[in-house]
Amino acid sequence: MLVFHTLAYPPLCCNADQYDCLGPVDASMIKARMGGQVVILLGRNQSALTDFLASHNISAAQIRADADRRRQQAVENGETEETTEAGEVEPTEENEVSETVEVSVTAVEASAAGRGTRSRNAAAEKKAKALDKIKASKAFKKRKKNADDDEYDDEIAQAIFEERSAPLPGQMENCEICGKRFTVTPYSVAGPDGGLLCAPCGREIAKDREGQPKKKPRKQTGGVGSRRTLQSRMLDGDVGTKSLATLCVQTLAKNVDLAESLGDLPEHLIDKIARIFSKRRLLKPDTLPLFTQPTTEVLHIYDGAKLGHQDFISIFQVASNLKKFKVRCAVQFKDEVMDYLLSRDILLESFYLHGANLLSEDKWHEFLAAKGKSLKELQVYFTDRHFGDETLGLLKEYCPNLSRLKVCHNQKVTDVGVIAIGNLPSLRHLSLELQQDSSAEALRTCITQVGKDLRTLSFKIVPDADDSVLEAIHNTCRSLAKLRITESETMTDKGFAKLFADWENPPLDFVDLQKCRQLDAAHPRANPDGIGLCSEGFKALMKHSGHALRTLNVHACRHISREAFEEVFGGTKEYPELRRLEISFCEEVTDFILGSIFRTCPNIKEVNVFGCMKVKDVRVPRGVILVGVPNAQGMITEGTD
Amino acid sequence: MKRLYSASGDDADPSAPSKYVTLVSGDGFEFVVLREAAKISPIIKGMLDPRSQFAEAKDARCVFQEMSGLVLDKVVEYFHYWYRYKDSEDVPDMDIPVELCLELLAAADYLGLDQANMSTK
Repeated sequence: MLVFHTLAYPPLCCNADQYDCLGPVDASMIKARMGGQVVILLGRNQSALTDFLASHNISAAQIRADADRRRQQAVENGETEETTEAGEVEPTEENEVSETVEVSVTAVEASAAGRGTRSRNAAAEKKAKALDKIKASKAFKKRKKNADDDEYDDEIAQAIFEERSAPLPGQMENCEICGKRFTVTPYSVAGPDGGLLCAPCGREIAKDREGQPKKKPRKQTGGVGSRRTLQSRMLDGDVGTKSLATLCVQTLAKNVDLAESLGDLPEHLIDKIARIFSKRRLLKPDTLPLFTQPTTEVLHIYDGAKLGHQDFISIFQVASNLKKFKVRCAVQFKDEVMDYLLSRDILLESFYLHGANLLSEDKWHEFLAAKGKSLKELQVYFTDRHFGDETLGLLKEYCPNLSRLKVCHNQKVTDVGVIAIGNLPSLRHLSLELQQDSSAEALRTCITQVGKDLRTLSFKIVPDADDSVLEAIHNTCRSLAKLRITESETMTDKGFAKLFADWENPPLDFVDLQKCRQLDAAHPRANPDGIGLCSEGFKALMKHSGHALRTLNVHACRHISREAFEEVFGGTKEYPELRRLEISFCEEVTDFILGSIFRTCPNIKEVNVFGCMKVKDVRVPRGVILVGVPNAQGMITEGTD
Repeated sequence: MKRLYSASGDDADPSAPSKYVTLVSGDGFEFVVLREAAKISPIIKGMLDPRSQFAEAKDARCVFQEMSGLVLDKVVEYFHYWYRYKDSEDVPDMDIPVELCLELLAAADYLGLDQANMSTK
């Protein structure tokens, strides 16, 4: 076998210089191996090799004599002498052997000769020494600084060692697999044991490796991009370790294609998975079956943009027990789908439809007439022209049990519709965000009629709502827990103060009065009429609801004074329930006020301070997130500097 | 019984509760875990509360019949992962084996290892 190697490849010119560059270890190793091999060669296929050698002016007899002599010497020296030194001990021999090497250096395969093994042991010893040396070197320490784990010590040292010992492009090396000699190029592939491979073996290995997943890059901890990632997570409202459930759901979302069914996980986890699926745009016709099972009662689709109308129909085909159905971006939820739903005996309790522009008004009416009786919650968003006053007018007749109604961004709803909502005595939760500005009168009428039992009252973007609306709330509402009135341009500080003073409603746990402020481009800071939520209103609000509030949003209520903040969050006051506080664009907020907030709100999780330019250098307690600090550094957690 | 994650500090002061607790899987694997780390789970915290007089609290040993050793192994790994990074802000994600994902999710839910339940303070 070895003969063919020898013959198949033209002799290589190897001289002593080349060995020098490989170092004494390699030179002696090759020599040692040569000794073993040539003997074998001669023993097996004498005639062909002898001819070949003769043609190159080499005497086979002499080689044999040399080999015998060397073997004998090896036995003699075996116990005492270090084999690695052999090359230097006998300089004359090196010259002789270099001729031999010319012939069959390509056949340098690990030989069984004792000398070779021993020299390899010595090489391993030498490598270990080199590794130790590297570990003590500067380059190693420099690298180690970047990686903080002890367990990587060996890996780093190994990497540096290989960098140093691997031959550079252009040099010769023996292939790790076939042992053939080849020229190292920058594209030479590393073999399984770290050595380099010749081109054919490299291709083989590359083919084998193709199927396997690539080695995962170790996640960077620190350095480039980490700060941005951290800030981004902070905006999402979490820092530090993720919960195990979150980690699992993320892994699941990364491997959707492997999941066949979600099993019998509890509802809230399914919902969590559904959310992350939609966030990553993974909810497609082929992943929909994960969420629709024959037993499904609750289905929340947070992004249905990739679903066609056939997919919506299939939901009703499979999940015949559906009770709560929610789809956002349900563009393809059109008349055919509604027809199908009407033909089934599914009785929905909760129906949430977002962006279904293709669903006609007639179908809405048909639906309400047929299925309205069981309906408890109806939420309609962005359906523009097909859900209007007329439809709202029908609710009284068709939906006697309706307790939650939310209508957002529907151009067709006007004051008539708002007044019609007042005829729904079962209503507990009401949210409106209309394209047509509602008049104060319509809102007042609506509140006076249904306000008494309302738990949630939310009017978004109501520029025309004035103090009379607040008065109506003060006079009628007795069980509110959540109140939202945003972007009113006419409500005054006095009106707010009057609303919260001696209000017979129990304390609220959610208040959102963002952007209730005076708008005057000419005199932005003057507010002679006290428009919007200002100091007095804010104090009255905190006095009434402060101890129960969980979420407070006074975004851009610019005229709340520093004194008001200091009074509210000062002294011995405590707001034990407050979790989220949004005070962005309240210009008077200072470091001191923030410090007081952290002190008086023991359970605070998140404070937003975008545009509070007087916030400069505040220390945030551990576990609290402060978003929007107006400097490049962002929030500084206590005890980190 | 197969005992994994054996710890060295078991022979502490007998009057004070041990720094370690033993979690046992349905198929008999035992994991000795730092008490402090295991308490991130509100459920385990409740089991181990010395005032509760539960058998778990007395023996510092919780048996989870419905969890396999594989799943509990990951849960324990998570406890230590949490414990190690609890005071840092920049944390690498822990690897979750895909095949255990759903089982682990159910276990995490059972143990209350959800963002809402875990106190980060």
